[in-house]
Order: sequence, then structure tokens, then C-alpha cells
Amino acid sequence: MTTEQQKKPDGVTLIRDLSDSSGYWGSTYTLTPMTDVHVICDAPLGCFNLLGTACVDYTDSIPHIENLTPTAITETDVTVHGTAGITLKAVQGVEREITHGLKQIIVVSTAESEQIGSDHTDMLAKHAPGTRFYYSASLEEDEWQGRDRALKWLWAEFGAPGTLVAPTPGTVNIIGPTYGCFNAGADLHELKRLVQGAGGTINLIYPYQSLLRDTPRLAEAAVNIVLHKEYGSGLCADLGRPWLAAPFGIQDTTAFITRLGDLLGTHAQAEAFLAEEKRTTLQPVWDLWRGPQGDWLGSMAVGIVAGRGYADGLRRYLGDELGMPIAFCAGRPAMPGEPDNLAVREIIHKGAPPVLFGSVNEQIYLAEAETRGTNFIAAANPGAFVRRALGTPFVGYSGTVWILQEIVNGFYNTLAGFLPVETERSKRQAAQEGPAGRYAWSPEASLLLQRAVDQAPYVARISASRELRLAVEQLAKARDLKAIGPDLVTEALGTLTR
Amino acid sequence: MADQNEQSCKLHPQTMCPAFGALRVLTRIEGAHPAMITDTGCLYGLTFVTHFYGARKSLIAPQLGTKELTSGTMMEGTYAAINKAAEEPGCRLVPVISLCVAETQGMSEELLPKKVGNADVVLVRVPAYAIHSHPEAKDVAVSALLRRYAADVNPDEGEEKTLLLLGEIFPADPIAIDALLRKMGASVGVALPSRSIDDFIRAGECGAVAALHPFYRGSVGFLRERGMPVVGGAPIGRDATTAWIKSVGSALKLDPALVARAVEEERATSDAVLRAQPLSGTIMVTGYEGNELGYAKLLVEAGANVPYVSTSIGQGVLTAGDEAWLKAHGTKRVVYRKSLEEDVAALDEFGADLVIGTTPFAAIAKERGIPGVYFTNMLSVRPFFLSGGMAATIGLIKGLLDRTPRYKFMEEFFTVLPNRPQPATVS
Repeated sequence: MTTEQQKKPDGVTLIRDLSDSSGYWGSTYTLTPMTDVHVICDAPLGCFNLLGTACVDYTDSIPHIENLTPTAITETDVTVHGTAGITLKAVQGVEREITHGLKQIIVVSTAESEQIGSDHTDMLAKHAPGTRFYYSASLEEDEWQGRDRALKWLWAEFGAPGTLVAPTPGTVNIIGPTYGCFNAGADLHELKRLVQGAGGTINLIYPYQSLLRDTPRLAEAAVNIVLHKEYGSGLCADLGRPWLAAPFGIQDTTAFITRLGDLLGTHAQAEAFLAEEKRTTLQPVWDLWRGPQGDWLGSMAVGIVAGRGYADGLRRYLGDELGMPIAFCAGRPAMPGEPDNLAVREIIHKGAPPVLFGSVNEQIYLAEAETRGTNFIAAANPGAFVRRALGTPFVGYSGTVWILQEIVNGFYNTLAGFLPVETERSKRQAAQEGPAGRYAWSPEASLLLQRAVDQAPYVARISASRELRLAVEQLAKARDLKAIGPDLVTEALGTLTR
Repeated sequence: MADQNEQSCKLHPQTMCPAFGALRVLTRIEGAHPAMITDTGCLYGLTFVTHFYGARKSLIAPQLGTKELTSGTMMEGTYAAINKAAEEPGCRLVPVISLCVAETQGMSEELLPKKVGNADVVLVRVPAYAIHSHPEAKDVAVSALLRRYAADVNPDEGEEKTLLLLGEIFPADPIAIDALLRKMGASVGVALPSRSIDDFIRAGECGAVAALHPFYRGSVGFLRERGMPVVGGAPIGRDATTAWIKSVGSALKLDPALVARAVEEERATSDAVLRAQPLSGTIMVTGYEGNELGYAKLLVEAGANVPYVSTSIGQGVLTAGDEAWLKAHGTKRVVYRKSLEEDVAALDEFGADLVIGTTPFAAIAKERGIPGVYFTNMLSVRPFFLSGGMAATIGLIKGLLDRTPRYKFMEEFFTVLPNRPQPATVS
């Protein structure tokens, strides 16, 4: 337990820079990718704008969610009328102006409407038959629970056939992504590639590239695969077929392809694909491993803040397979013992690892601590990141290559930043720098300097040593000192020697 | 218009979450560490936009879900968040930002401490259901801080010839306005919202206030109650600048000869700008920042046809002058508290060579091959006032109009193929 957590009074949980949104967000992001759905959120304007425009602009790089309309709750609705009237008006307006009977309208509750007790199930059944009400449990569920339950609801209400459907051999559903899932396009692309390589045929990509009216067809696939561990297992259980989760790293991906081949009865094709992948897609990992880049990995600690699937996958690939020391790992939703954002902020302020996967929150903590030399790699929402190119996966064999490439390129950048460059400033510094041995360093002072140097990335330590020694000696010169003791080093280098 | 039509016209009101306006003002203040009292859905969204558009400032909140609402522990959570925020090094101010769910539950100002350690605690109530646009929430935040910090300042202690600028403006703009004021023997006192708490104290000492944006009703009301003269309008474009300089002159009781000379000089430079960069074409000004009317006036003076202006803020005394001027200069319709449907209907009716709008509306313009830009990102990051602001703004607009062929190409390229499945009847 961190010191911060210990200070909390009984019964109160504090949140710093919330990473996961609510059930309203998760369910709405699950329903709206289907273009034959129109969602009416029973919400004040803010909840509509934040979810449908302001955030999705920057998490999913789309201008706005077109099939989303608010009831636009106002003060008198909260205090006097309730939201049934404005909900019915919105349903009628959407029906008349937008959907014309061609789409399924679904009214979704929000924290505000739930707080004032707005359940429109009966009202809609009476006054707008066909329109459905979805209670998003936004005051209880997080966005991942929200997605999982919405998927189960879709299957139960719009899918589940009365009679058993025999699966089509060799076919696969991919469950996920929805809106608001970091890097979904590239991960989906890689997962499709793996499925097809192992001999499978894609049945549905649900809900992202499906229509609501496709929902019954979920029953047709022989195997289901969840793209994100965080949600979708509930639907998979209801579908009752074997299911897998998208794999990360070399070993999990290999096991995934083999298992999928077994489940689909395409064993030989899966084995051939594995062999071909080693020669092609995966070859860069083998090359980097054998080259000088591989040697650095063992001395580069990595911090991980990401969704559950990414966090577990990165820890397995980078920690278990490549042997990078894991400084800390914080998955979302958190497992017992994992740091929350209060703790993550403390860790980063005390000393950030040279490689850090995370969200805008971790970028802010790095900036607050004025951290230099940490290679930040975006791996999670929240944050404004365009992740629409297909070539930036974390999932699968392609993911192993892309992640390693990012780590090494970041390291090259850090290294370049420590190498000497001739500028006006560097020339002035060189003129100030005297020969080594001009000052008498006490053993304690040397130890402090060494400790500060040790905090620089391994290959950059020679440059860092020179830079930091110069900083201390310049202070000695300014004070007209000939001997350097530990206090002077601490003063000159500040937090670096702690 | 019949009731039913009215409803259908306003399905998608356009505004950022109103509360964001307050967060933008408050998170940018040095030494201010907000505590946000709200549910997780709201907290996620507002934290997201604050970290993108406000400040890279960590935000603390108590968990507030069914458990806390039913057990009545919201205030305990609020105290814990305030205490946590006040622990931040150098914290001087903890704004308690009370949002929809907290306001519905009943956030009690009487039960909040006035101070924790060295930090002042100031309640800012910004439920989105009661405040209808994010510009107006900026006013809620600024007036809350003025009431805390400027109320005890003796107005007679300040310098008489200083002007308080009210409105979030580009950093070069107060410098340009200050240079103008100095020619008339006055100067800018402070510009609010500011990153310094002390500026909210100093605001009480200024000789007059200029509300450069028309939505600071609460702040202006507070200052007027204190006897501070109010200058309406803003020095945007040639005509308005003349009127504005004269109003400042009389509010601060400046030497009429110096004022007349300043007017002449600004007029001469403005005329030169207008001669050098005349605009032509039809432009829609449809943002949600609250300063759309001023922009539209400037574009009209520069020669553009601006038949339609819309904004998220409400109509009021401070918007009346701009609206009257626009309608006298060819603008057919000015819409307050606008919806996407109204903007689209205007585009159908008037057509446009350039759309400066919200993201959804700019996207719709681009789908029609019309140059479109997001008002907030493109215009709010440039000087705007006096002749210098005119030149910068007109230059930007000219550049956008010149990009028309690219928009045409992209539209034709991407709309030839249907890029999403078409829905069929739901069975």
C-alpha cells in the first residue's frame, strides 16, 4: 500500500486522473459502431458532447458519432419534470428526421438520468413501440463492464435464435473492437491476418464492422476470439463455442495459432503458417535479438500502464520473453496489488523507468517530474493519439516486431540526445571545462556523482558523466573552491543524486 | 415556427460540455489544484478534454457512484479530495468543481471549509444541465474567483487609469491593447482569466472593465455592483475599434485630444489592412466559443458575405450591439444556443465558400467539398484585436479560401465509393 492510499478516510475512495470511463460510455461505444442503430442518450449536453465529439475526435480520430442524439436534460427536467417527456420528444424527432423506421432506436441511460430514477422501459413500450431502453448502470459499472454487458444484451435481445444453429466449419467471430479502444484498427488487422493464416474464415467482426441485423449470425461461427481481454468473454460464454483471446508476444501467438488450427480442423495449414511467419514477419525480432540491440534490453527497465490485455501481454513479451526488467505494471481494470494512478504518479515522480508505456496521465507525471530520457510509448486511452494506421499493432507476431522497433528507436533517440553536438552553448561549455584532476573530489562526492550517472541510460552514461561532472565543477569554480565534497554535488545536481 | 418543427430543428445542440469552460480557466491558474465532484463517466470526459485543451494538471476526485450517493458520503469524499489537492506543493487554491450528479445530490457550500492549510477553497457550480455553453461556464469560474479575491479590495486604492480586460484572448492581444492605451495615458491593469491568483485580487483595483467577450455577465455584474465602469463591445474591426476606444476614453476619463488621435491612428492602419487584403466569398461563422459575432463583423468589414452566424451562448445585452451591426451589414440570421440542424439548414439555404464551425459541422462542409475548419482550434490561437488582429485573421481566412481545390479533390475522391454499409429495414 502506498502512503497516499493509507491517508484515505474510511469509506472514501479517491481517484486521480481517471483512466476508465463508465457503463454509459462503454455501452454507447458498443452500440454506435453499428450503423443501423441510433442511440439516444438520456443525458445533459455535456455527456453527449464529451462522448460523441470531444473525446472520440481524439481517441478514434473520427469527426463525431453520427448516430447519437441527446435528450439534453435541463434544470427543470432534473427538479420538476423528469426525463420521460424529453426522451419521447427526442425519439419522435429522430424517427421523423433521421431514422424513418430504418434503424433500431435505443435509449441509453446516463449517471444523471439514473440518479433521478429515469427508467423508460414502460414509457417507450407504450408510446414508442419498437424503441428499446438500455439501462447502462453508469453509477456502478466501468466502461469495460459496460461493453461486456451491452454485448450480452445485444445477443439476448437481437440475436439468440430459438433453435440451435450448427456452426459453419472453419469460421471465426472477432468480438471487438468498439469505439474508444486504443489502437483497435491495427490490432484488428493483425488478428484477422493470424486467423486467416491459421486457416480460418472471418464470419463477423462484432460490433465494429457489423450491423445490428447481423447479430443472429453470431451463432454461425465455430470459434470466437475477443480482441480485448477487458470485455467480450460474457458474450462468448453465452454463444457457447470455444473462444480465445487475442495473443501478445512470441509464445502466446504461437500457441494461439496452433490452438486455432486445432479448433478449426486446419492443423496443417496453421503449422505451415507458423513456419512461414518465422521466416518473414518475425525475422526482424530474431535479427534484433542477435544484433547489438538485443544486448541492451536486459538493462532497460520498463513501466507499463495499459488496458488489461495490453498490460498482461507487454509484461509477458517484454519481461518473460525479452528479459527486460519490469519496473511496474498497472493494468486497467486493476488487479489486486497493482498500483492505481495515485501510486503510479508517486512512482514516476520518484524515478521513471527508461521505457514507459502509458496514457496521457503518465505523460503528465513525466512532465511534472521534469523527467529526461524516458522513452514514452502511447499504449492506452485517455490521451490524444491517432492510431488508425494498420501497421502499429501490439497484438500478434506483427505486434512483437512493432513494439521492439519502437523501444529501439526510442533508445536511439535518447542516445542521440546525449551525444555531443557543437552549438554556441557547447562551445562556451568546452571553454569553461578544465582538465580532469583540477578539483579534488572526495570519495563521497565521487560516489554521489556515480549514482547520478547510473540513472542515465546505459549507453549514454559516458556523455552523462562528462555533463554532470562539469555541472559540479562549474559550481565549485563559482564558489572559488578547490575541493569538492558531497554537499556541493547534491546542490549542483539536485534530485539526480537522491 | 410550430413547436414540432422547433424540436426537430434542435436535435443536436452544439457546445462543448459546459463545465469544461470552468475547468479550462481553473486548471491554468498557477497553484490551483481542482477537486472534481462527479460520477466517473463525466470525470473521464472532462479530465480528457482538460488534459488536451486546458492544462497538464493532475486532477483529483472522490469516487461518486450509487454506493456513495445512497450512503450519503458525498461530502466526506469531497473533504478527502480537497485535502488531497491541498497537499500539492505550492497549492494556494482548491476550486471545488461541482458537476451534474453532485449538484443533483445537493452540494452544500456552507459545509465546505473556506480554507485548508494555505489553500483557499472556492466552490464552482457548473452542472451542464443548468449552464448551457462552455463560454458561460468560464464566466461562472471567473466570477466565483472575483467574489472571493476582489471583493475586499478597496477600489479607491488602485490606479485610476487602468483597464481590466475580461476575456480569454491571444497572448499578443493585451500587449497590443496596452500599447494603444499608453498612447492615451492609460494602461492595461490585468487581463482575466489569468494564470495568476493575484490578478484576481488586482482586478478589483482597476479603473474600468472591458468585457471583450459578450458572455461574462456574472463577472461584469459583480464589478458593476462595485461601481466599476463597464466598456462593452471589443476593438474588432474598423468601426467597432473606433467606438471602443471612445468608450474606454470616457470610462477612464482620458484626455479627449489623445483619444481622438488614437482613433485616427487605428483607423488609418485598419484602412490600410482592409485595402491590402480584401476578402470575397460567402463565409459561415458557426463556432461555439461565444465570440463568433465579433469574428463575423471583422470578416464583413474585410469584404466577405456572412449571411449566417451561430453561437452556443445565449442572447443578452452584451450581444445586442454586434447583432444589430451585423444585421445592418447584410447578415440574414444570427442564432443563439444553436443546433447542428440549424447550421446545416443555413448551409443548404445560403451556400458557402468557407465554413468556420464546430467539428461536426466542419466535417459536413468538407463532405460537400467546402473548405471547413474547427473555429476553436484555428481562430482562437491568433491575434484578433485592433489592426494587428485584423491583419492576422484576414490573412488566415484568405489562405483557407485559397485551399478550395484541395477540398474539392478530397470530396470527389472519397465520396465516389460508399465507405460504410447502408442499413436496411430493421425486421
